[in-house]
Amino acid sequence: MSRGGVSYAAYFALNPVWMHQWNSIRGFEVTGQFLRKMGAISAAAMALAPVLATAQEEGGYAAGHPLPGQFHLQRSVTPIMDSITAFHDGILMWSISLIVILVLALLIWVVIRYNAKANPVPAGFTHNTLVEIVWTVLPIIALIVISVPSFGVLSDQLTTPDGERKYLGANIFSFGEIEVPAPELTIKATGQQWYWDYEYVDDDLAFTQLMLNETDRNATKPGQPRLLAVDNELVVPVDTTVRVQVTADPMGVIHAFAVPSFGIKIDAVPGRLNETWFNARETGVYYGQCSELCGKDHAFMPIAVRVVTKAEYAAFIAAFKAGDYDAANATLVAIK
Amino acid sequence: MANTAHLEAHATGHDAAHDDHTPKGWRRWVYSTNHKDIGIMYLIFAIVAGIVGGLLSGVMRMELQEPGIQIFHGLAAMVYGVDGDAALDAGKHMYNVFTTAHALIMVFFVVMPATMGGFANYFAPLMIGAPDTAFPRINNIAFWLLPPAFILLLMSLFFEGTGPGALGFGGGWTIYPPLSTSGHPGPAMDFAILSLHVAGISSILGAINLITTIFNMRAPGMTLHKMPLFAWSVLVTAFLLLLALPVLAGAITMLLTDRNFGTAFFKPAEGGDPILFQHLFWFFGHPEVYIMILPGFGIISHIVSTFSRKPIFGYMAMAYAMVAIGFVGFVVWAHHMYTTGLSLDVQRYFVAATMVIAVPTGVKIFSWIATMWGGSITFRTPMLWAIGFIFLFTVGGVTGVVLANAGADRALHDTYYVVAHFHYVLSLGAVFSIFAGWYYWYPKMFGYMYSEFLGKLHFWVMFVGVNLIFFPQHFLGLAGMPRRYIDYPDAFTLFNRISSYGYYITFFAMLIFFYATWEASRKKRPAGDSPWGEGATTLEWTLSSPPPFHQFSTLPRIESTNAH
Amino acid sequence: MSAITKNHDYHMVEPSPWPFVMSAAVFVFALGIIFWMHQWTPFVFFIGLVGVLYTMYAWWSDVIKEANNGVDHTPVVQMHHRYGMMLFIASEVMVFFGFFWAYFDGFFRFDDIEQYARVAATGGHWPPTGIELFDPFHLPLFNTLLLLTSGTTVTWAHHALLENDREGLKWGLILTVALGAVFTVVQGIEYSEAGFSFAGDMYGATFFMATGLHGLHVLIGTIFLAVCLLRAYRGDFTPERHLGFEFAAWYWHFVDVVWLFLFASIYVWGSWGVALSH
Ligand code: HEA
Ligand code: HEA
Ligand code: CUA
Ligand SMILES: [Cu+2]
Repeated sequence: MSRGGVSYAAYFALNPVWMHQWNSIRGFEVTGQFLRKMGAISAAAMALAPVLATAQEEGGYAAGHPLPGQFHLQRSVTPIMDSITAFHDGILMWSISLIVILVLALLIWVVIRYNAKANPVPAGFTHNTLVEIVWTVLPIIALIVISVPSFGVLSDQLTTPDGERKYLGANIFSFGEIEVPAPELTIKATGQQWYWDYEYVDDDLAFTQLMLNETDRNATKPGQPRLLAVDNELVVPVDTTVRVQVTADPMGVIHAFAVPSFGIKIDAVPGRLNETWFNARETGVYYGQCSELCGKDHAFMPIAVRVVTKAEYAAFIAAFKAGDYDAANATLVAIK
Repeated sequence: MANTAHLEAHATGHDAAHDDHTPKGWRRWVYSTNHKDIGIMYLIFAIVAGIVGGLLSGVMRMELQEPGIQIFHGLAAMVYGVDGDAALDAGKHMYNVFTTAHALIMVFFVVMPATMGGFANYFAPLMIGAPDTAFPRINNIAFWLLPPAFILLLMSLFFEGTGPGALGFGGGWTIYPPLSTSGHPGPAMDFAILSLHVAGISSILGAINLITTIFNMRAPGMTLHKMPLFAWSVLVTAFLLLLALPVLAGAITMLLTDRNFGTAFFKPAEGGDPILFQHLFWFFGHPEVYIMILPGFGIISHIVSTFSRKPIFGYMAMAYAMVAIGFVGFVVWAHHMYTTGLSLDVQRYFVAATMVIAVPTGVKIFSWIATMWGGSITFRTPMLWAIGFIFLFTVGGVTGVVLANAGADRALHDTYYVVAHFHYVLSLGAVFSIFAGWYYWYPKMFGYMYSEFLGKLHFWVMFVGVNLIFFPQHFLGLAGMPRRYIDYPDAFTLFNRISSYGYYITFFAMLIFFYATWEASRKKRPAGDSPWGEGATTLEWTLSSPPPFHQFSTLPRIESTNAH
Repeated sequence: MSAITKNHDYHMVEPSPWPFVMSAAVFVFALGIIFWMHQWTPFVFFIGLVGVLYTMYAWWSDVIKEANNGVDHTPVVQMHHRYGMMLFIASEVMVFFGFFWAYFDGFFRFDDIEQYARVAATGGHWPPTGIELFDPFHLPLFNTLLLLTSGTTVTWAHHALLENDREGLKWGLILTVALGAVFTVVQGIEYSEAGFSFAGDMYGATFFMATGLHGLHVLIGTIFLAVCLLRAYRGDFTPERHLGFEFAAWYWHFVDVVWLFLFASIYVWGSWGVALSH
C-alpha cells in the first residue's frame, strides 16, 4: 500500500473507503428499528436512517480484509457478523459515546462554572440522595438495555443451527427473523506452529494452508494482501452453513481461528475440540489471522476462506476426491 | 475529607528537633524500619522500572511504526550475534519478549510499587494518624524483595527461551501454557516464574502489613467511617492482593512443576487442561487490574476535594463503591476467556457479572464530579492530572463494557481494541493517578515545590502523547488487527504510524518529568507544611514538610465535626 | 535506644539488617532452584537455603527477645501480631484454594467431551483408568485420627499454659510434636506405596501437589510447635502472654482443617466406586 511520501490530508479526503465506512455503519439503521420498536419515534433519527441505509446499499466496500485507514469493523457477510455489527454500532457505540460525552460535558461545565474565579466561595454540601439514586439507577437501566440484545447475539453465536431456530441477523431486537439451514458441511481446522491444517471431515480430505512469502506472493497472487495471502485457500460453498471444528496440534500450543467478516473467533486448544459455524452469503476470499499468541510466527499464520458458488464447490470437491488439492483448485478461477 | 481533623496536640517541632536520632548513611535505607523512607525507596524503584518498561514499549512502537520488520531484526543481530534468517527469527521472538517484559514490568514493578508500595506506605499511616506501620521489618523486606524479583526478570531476558538463539520468555504477560511450558523449554521462563513468586511474596507481605496498620493503628477517634478515602482504597486493595496473589503463586508453581518435574496439570495428553491455567490466572488477573486502579481512585478523591476546596461528595458511597468493586472483581474473571470454548450459560453469567462493575465505578466518577460541583476550583498541576484521569478512565472503562459483552468481544478479543482499552485504564488511568499523586505529595515528601509551569507542561504534553498512542488503536482493533503482532497487513499502517508518533511525544513528556524533578531539587523552593491551603484536610498536611522522621509521637485525636 | 519520647504503645522497631539479608538469601535461593532444575549445580540452592534458614533464626530470635523484654509487645502490638497471623493464614488458604481448584477441574470435568485428549488419557474416568487409589479408611483415616488427636493435645497444652501448669504444657506439646512427626512418617509410607506418581498424569499431579503442600505445612507446623516446646523449657510464655504458642496452635488447627478437606474430597469422595489398592 502507499507508504511514505503521501499527504495524509489528501489521502483522507480522497479515500472512498472512509466514506463507505461512515455510510455503512449499520447502527443508524438499527437504531431506527430500535426506536420504532420502542415506540418512541424520533423524527430526526427516522429522517436520517433511510438516507444512510440507501447510501450503504450503493456503496458496499470490499469485505474479507482490512482496508487502508479502516476505523470500523470489517464488512459483514454472515448473519452472525450482521448481529455483531448491529449490536456494536447500534447500541454499544451510541451508549459509550453518550456516556463519555456526558462525563466530558459535566467536567467542562464544572471547570467553567466552578473555577475559583467564577465561584470564589465553595459550597459545603456533601450529599444529595436523589442524584445519587439517579446515577446508580440510570447506569443500571443502560446496562439492562445493552444486555437484552447482548444475550441474543451471544446465544446466536454459540448455537449451531438446526434448521429450525431463527437468528437475529441485523435486527437484534427481533426475536429471530433469519432462517439459517442446518450445517451441510463440517470443516476441521488444526492450528500448527505456524500454519493451519484443514480437513473436510465428511469427505475425509485434508490439506495444509501456508502464508505466502513475498517472493511467492508477488509471483502468484500479487493482488492479494501481504501477510494474508496463502497458498491454499479453504474452499466452501456460498449460502451454506458450515460447521467449523477447531483444535491444535496435541503437542503444540494454543492458536485461535478468526475470520472478522464472518464474526467468528474461537481458540484452537491442544486436546480440545471447539466448535463454531458460519453461513456466508457472498462469494469472495475472506481473510483472518491467528488470534492467540503462539510464538515467533504468530503474526504469520493467516487464515483464508474462499467462498464459491455451490456449483463451483461441487466441482471442486469432486476433483479433490479424485485427486488432490491442486487438482481441485484448478477447477476454480485462479486468484490473482 | 469527610471529617475535619483536629489535633489536640502535635509535636511536629518537637520531633524535628530530635532529627539527630535518624539513622545515618546507607543503613538508614538498607536497614530501614521507617515507612516514609521505605515509601521513598519504592517510588524510586518504580521510576527506575518505569524507565525500563517505557523504553521497551518505545522499541515496540518503533517496530510497529511501519509494516515489515525493521528494528528487531537488527537488534537481534546485534545482541545475539546472529545474522540472516536466524536474526529474523530471533527478532520475531525478541518482539514477543519485549512485549512480555514491558507488561510484566509495568504491572508488577511500576504501578504496584508506586501505588501500594510508595504512596500507600508513605501516606496511609500519616492519614490515619499512626507513627509507622504495624510491621516495619516486614515492610522493609516487602520492598527489598522487589529488586531481586526485578533482577530475576531482567536475567530471564538473557537465558534461553524457546531454543538456542532465542533468548527470553516471549509468551505474553498472561504466561499461558503450553507456550509457557513445552513452548519455552529453556530456563528463561523459570526465571520469570521465580521472579513472579518473589514479587508475589513481597506484595502479600506488604498487604498484611497495610491491613493490620489500617485496622489497628488509626488514631483515637478515627473510626473506619471517618478514615480518608485513600486509606480505604489501600485497605480494599490490600485485601485483593492478599486473596488474589496466592492463587497466582499456586498457578505458577504448577507451571514450574509441569516444566521441570513432569507433572500434567496443563498437559492434555496426560489428563491435564491448559484452560485450567487460564481460569487460575484470571482469577488472580482480574482482581489484579483493580489492584492497579483502586489506589488511584483514592488519590484522585483527595486531589479533587483539595482543589475544589470542598469535602468529598458521598463519602460513604465512595468507600463502599470500592468495596463493591473489590468483591465483584473476584467473580468476573472469565470475561478474558470468551473465546476459549466456555459454554453459553457460563458466558452469559460472566457477561452479566462483569457489567455490574460499571455501576459502582459510575458512582465514583459522578461523585468526583459532584465534589467539584459548587466548589471553588484551582487548576494546580495535581488537579489537571486528576481531571485528566477522570475523563480518560471513563473512556477506558466504557470500552471495557463493550468487551464485557461476549457477543461483541467475539470480534474484538485479542485485537488492538483490547490493547487500547487497557492502556486507557492503565497508562492513562493508573499512571495518571500516579503522576497526580506525585505532584500532589511532592511538596510534602521532599519539602520543596516543583515548578508549576513544568508540571503543567508535563501534563499537557503527556496528555496529547498518550491519547495519540492509544486512541487510534481502537480503530485498529475494530478493523481486526490482532495484538502481539510484530508485523501487520499494510492496511493497518496509518493508525500504527500515528500511534508511534504519539509515543515520541510521550517520551518527550517523560523528559519534561525528569527535568521538572531535577529542577525542583535544585531550586529548593520551600513548600511549607500545607501548600494547598484549606482544601487539604487530611492529617499529613498538619505535619512539617517533609514530616519528622517519627511523626505523631503523641497520637492526634480526631474530633469529627460536620462529618457527612 | 530511641531517645524520642513516645506517648503511644506502638513498637517503633529499630533498624534491622534481617529484611535485607533475607531478601538477598531469597534471591540466591531462587537462583539455586533454577540452577538445580536445569542441572547446573545444586550448591547455590543449598547456600540460599542456609541463608534463608539462618536469617529466619536470627530475625525471629530478635522477635522473641522483644517479646520477652516486657516492653515492646504491648497489648496493641500483640493485636497486630494476631491480625498478621490471621491474614497470613488467609493467604495460605488461597494457595490451597488454587490446588483444590486444579483437583476439582479433573474431578468434575473428567468426561468433558470437548476435551478429547483428556478423555483419552483418563479413559473417561476419574480417577483416570489404571490408577489405583488408596483405601481412604486405612492409612488416611489413621492419619486423620492422628491429626484430630493432635488438635486436642495442642489444646490441652494451651489450657495447661493458661492455668500455669508447665508440665501439662510441655507434655501437651511433646505429644503434639510426636503426633505430627508420626503423621509425616505415615504419609511417607503411604507415598512410597502409591500406585501413581507426581509426574505423568493429572491425578498424580493434583494428588501429590495438594497433599504434598499439606505435608510441608505439617512439617513447618511441627517445627513451629517444637520451637514452642524449646521456649517452654526455657521458661518463656506466661498464662497472659504466649502469642508464639498461640500462633503455633492456630497454624496447627489450620493444617488440621486443610487435611479434613483433603481427606473428605480427595481420599473419600474421590474414591467412591473405584478400585482401591489393598
Ligand atoms: C486498571 C486496569 C483495568 C481496569 C480498571 C479495567 C476495567 C474494566 N475492564 Fe479491563 N482489562 C485490563 C485492565 C483493566 N480493566 C487489562 C490489562 C486487560 C487485558 C489483559 C490481557 O489480555 O492482557 C483487560 C481486558 C478486559 C476484558 C477482556 C477483553 C478480551 O481480552 O477480549 C474485558 C471483558 O470484559 C474487560 C472489561 C472491563 C470492564 C467491564 C471494566 C470496568 O471495571 C470498567 C468500569 C468503568 C466504567 C464503565 C466507566 C465509568 C462509569 C460510568 C461513567 C457510569 C456509566 C457507565 C455505563 C452505564 C456503562 N477488560
Ligand atoms: C501499567 C501498565 C502499562 C503501561 C503504563 C503501559 C504503557 C505503554 N504501553 Fe503497554 N502494555 C501493558 C501494560 C502497560 N503498558 C500490558 C499489560 C500489555 C500486554 C502485554 C501482552 O500482550 O502480554 C501491553 C502491551 C502493549 C502493546 C501491545 C503489544 C502487542 O500486542 O504486540 C503496546 C503497543 O503499542 C504497548 C505500548 C505501550 C506504550 C507506548 C506505553 C507508554 O504509555 C509508555 C510511556 C509511559 C511512560 C514511560 C511512563 C511510565 C513511567 C512511570 C509510570 C513511572 C512513574 C512513577 C512515579 C512517578 C513514581 N503496550
Ligand atoms: Cu498461531 Cu498465533
Ligand atoms: Cu478483567
